[in-house]
Amino acid sequence: MNSSKIKCFTILFLAIISISGCKKFLELDPPYTQDAENYFENPKDYEMALIGAYDLLQTSFITIWIGEIASDNSIAGGESVNDTEGLHQIDNMTHGAVNTELRNVFRWNYAGIARTNYILENKDNIDFEGKDKIIAETKFLRAYYYFELVKYFGGVPLVLDVRLGVDEVNETERNSEEDVYLQIEKDLSEAITALDWFAEIKGRVDKGAALALLGKVYLYHDKFTESAEIFDQVITEGQYALAPDFSNLFFVSSENNSETVFDVQYSGLEGGSYGCLHCLEGNAAPGFQGIRQYSGPVYGDGNSYNLPTQELYDVFSSSDPRREATILDLDAFIASQVNAEDITYAIGAGGHTGYYNNKYIKRVGEIGLPDNDLTSPVNYRVIRYADVLLMAAEAHNRKASPNDALALDYVNQVRDRVNMNPLSSSGNQLTEDIWKERRLELSCEGLRFFDLVRTGKAKEMIVNFEENKHEVFPIPQVEIDLAGGNWDQNIGY
Amino acid sequence: MFHLHIDKLKMTILLLNNKELKLMSKKFYLLIIVVFSYTFAQSQNTVKGVVYDENNQTIPGVNISIKGTTIGVVSDIDGKYSIKINKADSNQLVISFLGFEEQEILVAGRDVINITLKQKSEILDEFVVVGYGQTTLREVTGATAKVRGENVERLNMSRVDQALQGQVAGVSINTNSGSPGGGSSIRIRGLSTFGDNDPLILVDGVVYDSEGLNALNPSDIESINVLKDATAGIYGVRAANGVILVETKKGKKNAKPQFEYSSYYGLQQTAKKLSLLNAREYAIIKNEMFANGGNPVPFANVELGEGTNWQDTVFQTAPTQNHNLSLSGGTKNTTYSIGGSYYSQDGIVGGKKASFERYNGRMNVSTSLSEKMRLTSVFLYTNERRKGLPENGIGSVLYNTINAFPTDPIKTPDGNYSYLEEVSDIINPIAQIANTFNEARVNKFVGKEEIAFDISKELTFTNRLNYNYALVDNKSFGPLVWYGPGKAQNSAINSDLDPSLVEIADSVFIERGASVFEQRATYLDLAYEGFLNYDHIFNLVHKFKGTLGGSVFKRKGDVLNGTAFNIPNNDVTYADISANIAPGGFLNNTGSYEFEERLLSTFLRLEYGFKDKYLISGILRRDGSSKFGDNNRFGYFPTVSGAWLISEEDFFNIKPIEFMKLRMSYGISGNDQIANFANRASLNGEGVYVFDDIITTGVAIGRAANPDLKWETTRQYNTGIDLALFDRVNITANYFIKNTYNLLFQPDVSGIIGSYGPGGSSPIINAGDVSNKGFEFEFGYASDMRNDLRTNVNFNFTTLANKVTSVPEGVDFLPGAYFGVGGNVATRFEEGFPIGYFHGYETDGIFQTQEEIDNAILIQDGAQPGDFKFVDQNGDGEINFSDDSDKTIIGSPIPDFILGLVFGLDYKGFGLSANVYAALGQEIIRNFERQQPYANQMNYVIGRWTGANSTNMNPLQTTGATRNNVFSDYYVENGSFVRLRNVQLGYTVPKKVAKYFKTESLRIYVSANNWLTFTRYSGYDPDIGATAGTLSAGVDYGFYPQAKTIMGGLTIKL
Repeated sequence: MNSSKIKCFTILFLAIISISGCKKFLELDPPYTQDAENYFENPKDYEMALIGAYDLLQTSFITIWIGEIASDNSIAGGESVNDTEGLHQIDNMTHGAVNTELRNVFRWNYAGIARTNYILENKDNIDFEGKDKIIAETKFLRAYYYFELVKYFGGVPLVLDVRLGVDEVNETERNSEEDVYLQIEKDLSEAITALDWFAEIKGRVDKGAALALLGKVYLYHDKFTESAEIFDQVITEGQYALAPDFSNLFFVSSENNSETVFDVQYSGLEGGSYGCLHCLEGNAAPGFQGIRQYSGPVYGDGNSYNLPTQELYDVFSSSDPRREATILDLDAFIASQVNAEDITYAIGAGGHTGYYNNKYIKRVGEIGLPDNDLTSPVNYRVIRYADVLLMAAEAHNRKASPNDALALDYVNQVRDRVNMNPLSSSGNQLTEDIWKERRLELSCEGLRFFDLVRTGKAKEMIVNFEENKHEVFPIPQVEIDLAGGNWDQNIGY
Repeated sequence: MFHLHIDKLKMTILLLNNKELKLMSKKFYLLIIVVFSYTFAQSQNTVKGVVYDENNQTIPGVNISIKGTTIGVVSDIDGKYSIKINKADSNQLVISFLGFEEQEILVAGRDVINITLKQKSEILDEFVVVGYGQTTLREVTGATAKVRGENVERLNMSRVDQALQGQVAGVSINTNSGSPGGGSSIRIRGLSTFGDNDPLILVDGVVYDSEGLNALNPSDIESINVLKDATAGIYGVRAANGVILVETKKGKKNAKPQFEYSSYYGLQQTAKKLSLLNAREYAIIKNEMFANGGNPVPFANVELGEGTNWQDTVFQTAPTQNHNLSLSGGTKNTTYSIGGSYYSQDGIVGGKKASFERYNGRMNVSTSLSEKMRLTSVFLYTNERRKGLPENGIGSVLYNTINAFPTDPIKTPDGNYSYLEEVSDIINPIAQIANTFNEARVNKFVGKEEIAFDISKELTFTNRLNYNYALVDNKSFGPLVWYGPGKAQNSAINSDLDPSLVEIADSVFIERGASVFEQRATYLDLAYEGFLNYDHIFNLVHKFKGTLGGSVFKRKGDVLNGTAFNIPNNDVTYADISANIAPGGFLNNTGSYEFEERLLSTFLRLEYGFKDKYLISGILRRDGSSKFGDNNRFGYFPTVSGAWLISEEDFFNIKPIEFMKLRMSYGISGNDQIANFANRASLNGEGVYVFDDIITTGVAIGRAANPDLKWETTRQYNTGIDLALFDRVNITANYFIKNTYNLLFQPDVSGIIGSYGPGGSSPIINAGDVSNKGFEFEFGYASDMRNDLRTNVNFNFTTLANKVTSVPEGVDFLPGAYFGVGGNVATRFEEGFPIGYFHGYETDGIFQTQEEIDNAILIQDGAQPGDFKFVDQNGDGEINFSDDSDKTIIGSPIPDFILGLVFGLDYKGFGLSANVYAALGQEIIRNFERQQPYANQMNYVIGRWTGANSTNMNPLQTTGATRNNVFSDYYVENGSFVRLRNVQLGYTVPKKVAKYFKTESLRIYVSANNWLTFTRYSGYDPDIGATAGTLSAGVDYGFYPQAKTIMGGLTIKL
């Protein structure tokens, strides 16, 4: 080899060594990819992020479960007592700070909040027509998720308009219940101004939904005067009406009718897995609450969760059509079928009452794609007009200067729809009657436990319920730990 | 005067025999020679002869010298030599040749002396590749281990990693799946990271990932070197988990072309079937269970006989075969080794439905382009095809097999597969096999072009371009199936296999029929490496070596996939995206993504040796990785190591010890094995909602951001000793401490960060430390190769203590695998405990009577007679089931001891060999039992509690509320095992017979793999890896066991 070749190679070698200093070589952007760091550049980006923020509404099935199972309305059920053990603990009021289901509630709602905050963090990037409405819907959603949290856990940390970094968690304090309520009311009040009365797209939040939720929040916050005022606005301006037939109110075919104030929307067209219930586009409740190993007409088979109790069944008068529409008396139903002897079902070792949740249950005509336990298209009725009327009645009855006449008018509209005699009570008796009416009208919809707590009836109605403890669920222990141990646990846990 | 005494002196010397001469002081002897050489100058005779090796091949180039003189000759091309010996010279010849043992021969007046050299039995002077250079085992300063290709090839295993099991101390290999083409977990010196624990694997210098090892034919391997300690740090950022260097076969210079054909055929079976209940036992136990739960009994008649043995139908005898053809040799300037092979293996579960096939082509050519320039070209091509069945977990074929009811037939009288209706997630495993269609095909091109030239005698410059290009195609067909009412795996809506209907617009429905998914992924690694090697000895005693180089690495990949529905006739024959007949192309989905990562490195290694006694080496590597953000992109990884060859010291005079070396090393290496762009928040979360009844896709953050992400670093200390004794024995021992800091992982983070939405995940952060400490011992013995009866024994053992030394702030532990269905976290990553230890309740027998429960000091909520007594760990007088306060460590998946034994015995043409592997002291979670009233059970439940004092072992069977199903030590078993990995008996036919068949050599053998396993574990196979990440180690989900194989084969050389 001659010396010029050696030179060539030496130069080449030096070149290699020197590229090592070349940092640019390592500065790569993800190829052909938008990521969270280069987003919100056009109006469509806001729209897309908003869809992501809506997504967590679909975890509502857990509220249908816990709202009922924690109360006197139903038992946990299921395959065995170890199947979704957290629900069984809640059923027995033996739940502690280690509870998968409660942790899910905590994490899912904060995931929803983070998605709204991601939009609000970037809300001033660009201006475009229609942005106000997107921001208003975003604030509604944030209020919705915080309202879920405050109902379950009391005061929780308020994370607003920022993406929280790992290092910032330890500096985040638990806010008081009062702070959280005020933030929810602020978000909803701001949302209301930019929203139209009826959304053009089914499923989108509108003014009626935001007002009704605000009225409900006020009611939970014991602000009856404000609540009554807001509900009056919904009732007078909202053009809602009770649907005539209660018996098919929870069928898919009845969805988005005149009684619908706000629904969580589900579809039967996309599958999913048990490992990720919050990823589903279908409602997990109807399949889980379906009849175990059922083979027969009308209903599909399911996992026998969330089974109504005998006591609930007995609350209804036999003349009330809501009893059958709310609770399926399985053996009676089977006996009434022509081919009763061919109909079979199994009993889960998690418990059996003979009754099934007939509002959210898998029905033959409403079966989604396989796996149809997870793909129910049945919407969750978050707030329907009957609830608005009952809440309005309660607010008018309980506000500083009660208007029992109006309260009676509202509650009797609800009774009239199912041909029940009108009430005529007043004062405290009327309060009790309205509460009872709530149970008759709204059982199996996930409201009962929270109603019992906010009305102070929980101790009286729920076995093992301890006052000054079970009104809220414990903050998941692991969340306290992960936040550096700075948050106080709820009293009694 | 002198003259007078010559004869007398001569006589004296001759009279002194060899032994006596040795006793004389060397100096005195030399003096005599110096004094008398002059005198004897005129008097000489000539000795002639031929030098042979043990196979009677002549050896050219052998040095033959006269002891004590500088006189010497070299044997010629035919191995002949001729040397003149002065009468005054010593009477001894010294014969030496690299790679052979030195011999001294007393001439004793002979004129013709033919010499047979024997190959060195010690391996000290073999070359070992240590990364950008090579050294000898004598001089290496790090903890390395070398496995010869023959010890890999002989085992007839489909994958190199399987064959490595038990061969190297400190390297633990567990099978992730026994299915054909299934991978292994390779762990060098323990688990050191939460994330990717795989070592860096280089085949002829080209990066392979451990999954890609399927592509490598074990027969193509010349040798494997494992760099276990910090000296692997020459590979910097990728060396933290150790480095495995695989060298493929090369030709030899001046060797005539040699053809070799080898082949084997084998039959595989499952080594074990579980002891499950038969129909009668099942009915009796279920009746009791339901009755105890207060429910009506399901079986009016329990006399149901044996019923269906699902295992007998699912397991089958499956063939495996392999054919290799190779050609190797060399000319003066070129060496070559070219080969091709075919391998196939069917599954013991699923047969052709779980199979693996591989075609290999290989070319390894090295040639001198000029006197100073050499080209090495390596090219490997692989075509592989793998089919698989669902494995490991709920829904896997074996899980269904274990839990299927013996009371149901495989097929009902109407010819349909039975539905196993009572449990929604257990489906008929035979139907499942029939309805599973998937295939992965890989085409892989791996190679390197390397030009090395000698700038001067001391300085060599090497340029290398490596490439690894893989095309990975996947295809799976999802027929419309109906496994029975309510089964999650149904894709049809009824037993008539009607498809479901999908509304694509208002009241517009289309069918959603059978589907096909196809994916093509393309991966390309490109690396350029350039380095200078300097090697010079100054003044005969100062040996300097240096390596300076740089490397640029780039990995790119892109993936494109699509799903099409409505495949005609519900038939796999038409399963192609083009066959899609969905109107308007509705329903069909496509997806794609690309990625790229880069590494930029510079490295320097300096080695100094003094008199071959003291060796010291230093390494510094600087790595930059595109995986990290600006803040922490570059890392520096230094290592120092040294060795002291005590046996070279003058004072060292322990006869049986021919060689003794002490080694020490300390260094830092890194790990960047995390997802690309992990410092940024991704936007791949699932943000989907339903508007106007249409599923509408939006966006959401997926993995959260962490801009401060940095290297995970490992600091490793090693001290070791190498010994060679009695000419036959080699011993190596190492002690190491390996601490890994700033582990990269995605721990649980606070929910308020909001990363637990659909498709969301925690940010990747640096947190947590892990420590591994261990001792390794290797013993090798090989008897004299000249004997007719030859034996060799290699034995190694490893002890390992693994401990998590810190976890992220605010985190008590990181949850791992779950027990049962919807059950509790059973494995943990927690400070003070081994990685992935088992965490649950400790049992203390069974409550026999109600009185016992009532009188117990301990409150155990809900306990009834027949239930487990749990141990109160926190001493609060109560067993808490709603929190973790009464759970404790009840096992660890990490063995205390790993032992390997390789044994060989040769007598004349016969050869017997055996490999034994043992892992002792680890536990396994029996997690394949569906805790569901109707699921079948293992027959230990026959010994269940049936009344006071019936048993203290197995609890009451009941469908009622019970805590017996919570994760406790009842579900944890001793996972220790000893396994005869391979035993082989071969016969090499005598030369004459081989010649008759016109071959150079001919060998036939029979061999068995996994023939015997000694274990108490009740599952299929105790050798289980981590099938679902580091923390799933030791959790048995109905593991696809390794087959027991019996094979016959032959090797022909032409």
